[in-house]
Amino acid sequence: MLFWILAAFLTFVAAFAVLRPFAVRNGQADDAPAHDIEVYRDQLDEVERDAERGLIGPQEAEQARAEIGRRILKASEAADSQAGKRNASRRVTQLTAAIAVLAVPLVSWGLYVFTGSPNMPAQPFHARATEEPANAPIDELVARAEAHLAENPDDARGWQVLAPVYMRIGRFGDAQTALRNIMRISGDSAEMQSGLGEAIVGGAQGMVTAEAEEAFNAAIALDPKEPRARFFLGLALAQDGETEDAQAMWREMLADLPGESPWRVAARQALLSSGDTSVAGAETAPTGPSDEDVAAAAELSQADRQDMIEGMVASLDAKLQENPDDMDGWQRLIRSYIVLKRPEDAKAALERALAALGADAPESQELKAFADSLGIKSE
Amino acid sequence: MTRKQKRLAVIAGAIGFLGLATGLTLYALGEQTSYFYMPGDLEERPVAAGQRIRLGGLVEKGSIQRGDDTYVRFAVTDGTESVAVQYSGILPDLFREEQGVVTEGAFDQNRNFVADTVLAKHDENYMPREVADSLKEKGVWKED
Amino acid sequence: MSIELGHFALVLAFALALVQMSVPIIGAQLRNETLMRVAEPAAITSFMLVALSFMALTSAYIQSDFSVLNVWENSHSAKPMLFKITGTWGNHEGSMLLWVLILVFFGALVAFFGRNLPLSLRANVLGVQGAISCAFIIFILATSNPFARLDPAPIEGRDLNPILQDIGLAIHPPLLYLGYVGFSIAFSFAIAALIEGRLDAAWARWVRPWTLAAWTFLTGGIAMGSYWAYYELGWGGFWFWDPVENASLLPWLGGTALLHSALVMEKRSALKIWTVLLAILTFSLSLLGTFLVRSGVLTSVHAFATDPARGVFILGILVLFIGGSLALFAWRAATLTSGGLFQPVSREGALVLNNLILTTATATVLIGTLYPLLVEAVTGDKISVGAPFFNLTFGPLILPLLAIVPFGPLLAWKRGDLWAVSQRLIWAFGGALAVALLALVLVDRTSVLAALGIGLGAWLVLGAMTDLVIKSGLGKVAPSVAFSRFKGLPRSVFGTALAHAGLGLTTIGIVAVTTLETERIVAMEPGEVVEIHGYNLRFDSFRPFTGPNYTEDQARFVLTRVTGRQLGEIVSSKRFYTARQMPTTEAGIRTLGVSQLYVSLGDQTPNGKIVVRIWWKPMVTLIWLGALVMMIGGTVSLLDRRLRIGAPMPRKKAALAQGGQA
Repeated sequence: MLFWILAAFLTFVAAFAVLRPFAVRNGQADDAPAHDIEVYRDQLDEVERDAERGLIGPQEAEQARAEIGRRILKASEAADSQAGKRNASRRVTQLTAAIAVLAVPLVSWGLYVFTGSPNMPAQPFHARATEEPANAPIDELVARAEAHLAENPDDARGWQVLAPVYMRIGRFGDAQTALRNIMRISGDSAEMQSGLGEAIVGGAQGMVTAEAEEAFNAAIALDPKEPRARFFLGLALAQDGETEDAQAMWREMLADLPGESPWRVAARQALLSSGDTSVAGAETAPTGPSDEDVAAAAELSQADRQDMIEGMVASLDAKLQENPDDMDGWQRLIRSYIVLKRPEDAKAALERALAALGADAPESQELKAFADSLGIKSE
Repeated sequence: MTRKQKRLAVIAGAIGFLGLATGLTLYALGEQTSYFYMPGDLEERPVAAGQRIRLGGLVEKGSIQRGDDTYVRFAVTDGTESVAVQYSGILPDLFREEQGVVTEGAFDQNRNFVADTVLAKHDENYMPREVADSLKEKGVWKED
Repeated sequence: MSIELGHFALVLAFALALVQMSVPIIGAQLRNETLMRVAEPAAITSFMLVALSFMALTSAYIQSDFSVLNVWENSHSAKPMLFKITGTWGNHEGSMLLWVLILVFFGALVAFFGRNLPLSLRANVLGVQGAISCAFIIFILATSNPFARLDPAPIEGRDLNPILQDIGLAIHPPLLYLGYVGFSIAFSFAIAALIEGRLDAAWARWVRPWTLAAWTFLTGGIAMGSYWAYYELGWGGFWFWDPVENASLLPWLGGTALLHSALVMEKRSALKIWTVLLAILTFSLSLLGTFLVRSGVLTSVHAFATDPARGVFILGILVLFIGGSLALFAWRAATLTSGGLFQPVSREGALVLNNLILTTATATVLIGTLYPLLVEAVTGDKISVGAPFFNLTFGPLILPLLAIVPFGPLLAWKRGDLWAVSQRLIWAFGGALAVALLALVLVDRTSVLAALGIGLGAWLVLGAMTDLVIKSGLGKVAPSVAFSRFKGLPRSVFGTALAHAGLGLTTIGIVAVTTLETERIVAMEPGEVVEIHGYNLRFDSFRPFTGPNYTEDQARFVLTRVTGRQLGEIVSSKRFYTARQMPTTEAGIRTLGVSQLYVSLGDQTPNGKIVVRIWWKPMVTLIWLGALVMMIGGTVSLLDRRLRIGAPMPRKKAALAQGGQA
């Protein structure tokens, strides 16, 4: 309501500005030639001043005076001839005034209705940030925490709150930043390092990259029993096709873990899916990981994991069809099919690679030797 | 000189100056402008070694190789063809894989493109206009 | 609510501008005083409304109100307060609002100070101003409304492009716009004269101070933009002949020509039609500049958000105003009385020569800027016209102008004596020659061109000083008399001398840095030392650092003279702005005398070193110091009594208003 009152007031001011000249009579006539004569007189004064100061010589001054004098004469003639010019009728004046004064509110209100949002309140950041956080959606809570941390980047507790939330909503890059910040402020810890590794794995769609491995190794260096790091390092071995080493790692881990650790489940499942059935039924699985300790990998069911790996392999395969010169890519693809227990596909991949690279190329020989080591032979 | 001759001299001087300016402009437009090419255009309209051109496109993924000092090699691609570019100097801040670039330089005798200028842009969403237009024509790049 | 009120005020200002552009002009045609008088209150009220609107937007920025689309797109709650405020015009929509604010501000100034102008002239001038504001306000409302809202409002903004988060760039657009838009006054006066079919004697007196003010601001804006590009982009270049830079140089060249031709018109009542045309062209070039920057039709390192729809709209405005005014000129110019003829060797002759050269040079820059557009429209080929073109055309054309500048102010009006003036300048010439020789011997034995260029700059500076010496009569009369005459010289004489001397300083800076600059690019690791131009630069350390809204890797360098004297630290860094995920390079610059050492970081090499680019930039600061001196010249000239009062008060009223206007 206040808005409309103020808008109306502004409109009134604008309309008044247009109307004022019609209301106030001003007797001064518009006499342009007379103005000209004033200007010329001033120029004459200026010539006098310059001459006095010696800026221009007497001869030059005389010439200038004569020239200005001629202009004054001309202007006076013009002033005489202009006398008795016409003036518009009252009717025209009144009509124009009416149209102009009406145009101001009509145009402005008409346009504003189209472009404005009169009912929308202002929402300054400060006021919103101090609102009750109870019902706010998660994104908003995160944003609020981020705003707080942008101002106080050294608040380790803030980062600690955010890091698991980022992991859960899949913002792995932000999770990495948060964890790095925690370590920057409160120093290294095995838990943070392994968390960082996991975030990197999450960002790489489940692949344990070299960077992630580095983080896990750092965690192991700080605490040789850190379960998450051991689990993922095992996974890294499995992804590289070194299934037996991976299994050894997981078994060792299982032996060290206390009975209630949620990581037991993850390790057992990993062992099972890698083909080691020795752990099946040996122990009743706990009900699952607790909410507070959500770990992305532990949450993945075997089927999920299988789906994810297969998706990755399919995309790798597609990429290699476009770009068949990628030796590393072919090796990874063949190895992945072996891990997935699809030797036919591995063989087909090898044959496609050989066709693409040319059977006699040195790369082809290398690839053949590689496949041979995995038990795949090309015809 | 009479008054008339003086005036003629002034007018002749002015015309001479304008003529000089026109000549310079035409010469410079002929010599100092560089045409814009995408890698795919090079087959249709071959470019002689030493002729300055602007070569634009996307920085091909995985193609950036840095030398020990300021020497850099990368490939500029339009999605189908790509051209290897050599450059020595500091790359712009926003020079990244799969981002638009415009490089300016010439092919040497061995058909290597040697760039002396590499332009990327201030804004993170930037795509040099020529590159954007050409990529759109080829259907490689879509506005998001 | 304040946002909506700001929005409404802008719409209301549009309605008022409609009235302002029609009623007074109709009034002037009908010779109806009352209708003509509407112009004045309408102009002043428009200004107040747009100011209100601008304040509303600024307050939305200060409060980080992300329910405003424009604020959300360009601000962030964690941004420093200064950049929240300057962020108001750090984007397309806000900067267009600033453009209009300055436009109506100038309109209000004319309404306020123009009470002593002939009524019909004032009505027509303000009417034309109203038409311009009308066009631009509707442009803002239709294509770039800064008051568009978002519902629901996002919680956090997207941050201003970090490159623009800089104090230099915060001041750059307002200065530039004060220049661009200031030329609209000269334009409006020209159109008013054409509409009326007569040039009042007050015309030139009015046009000159406004042009001078606009020119002074534009000089500052260009210099500021150039310095910003120099230190912020990390390439160490001060001028790239980039279309957007050309867009600001074009009106500057036109405005410089206009300043000089208006002088002839005022003093000698000659060159009237030419001056009117120049006024139209100069503002047209300003509009063209706005179009080039805003539409993104030309590839530029400066253009930020661009949008074809806006381009088409501004193109429409461009065609309407430039086409319309030139058509009006073609139709009405004959009705203006043309001025007298004059001798080629005279002050006015020299000014005509100045105009000839300046407009020709403007034309070459214009052609170089627009040629790529033309070629693409005709053949579809995409070409670029770069620095070599401009160096080859603009350079040779402008050099003779620089060489003859010192003669101009010394020549007498009507009939000058070139021989006498040459004799007076003999000392300046000798001095310049000495400077050139000194530069050749001391700085660089090989570069004759550099020495000649520096000599040319010195010639301009010494020539300007000669003008002051001769006008005060130093050496001819007793020193005390000369001093009192010096003090009594009109301010405009000082203004001229300062502006010309500033031009000389800028010339020296440009020549020195382009011909004598040295550069080293090396991959360095901490502990390494590089020698450049008699200085040792030791790479001290490389470490991360966290700023308010960015993180950076700082490289610290220790600078010493080769002789061993410590000169402190230079810090150069690579920054990363987290909100926009954008890297920038912050150059480390150390000013030594008028020269600078410029250190910029590149990428890391595979063996862990960092590529460091180091320039020795001799006398580079003179480029901008010269511009500053030019600005001071412009300001001093504006303080001249003759210009301060646009036109004398009619005598009958003068007595009443003496206190207020004197």
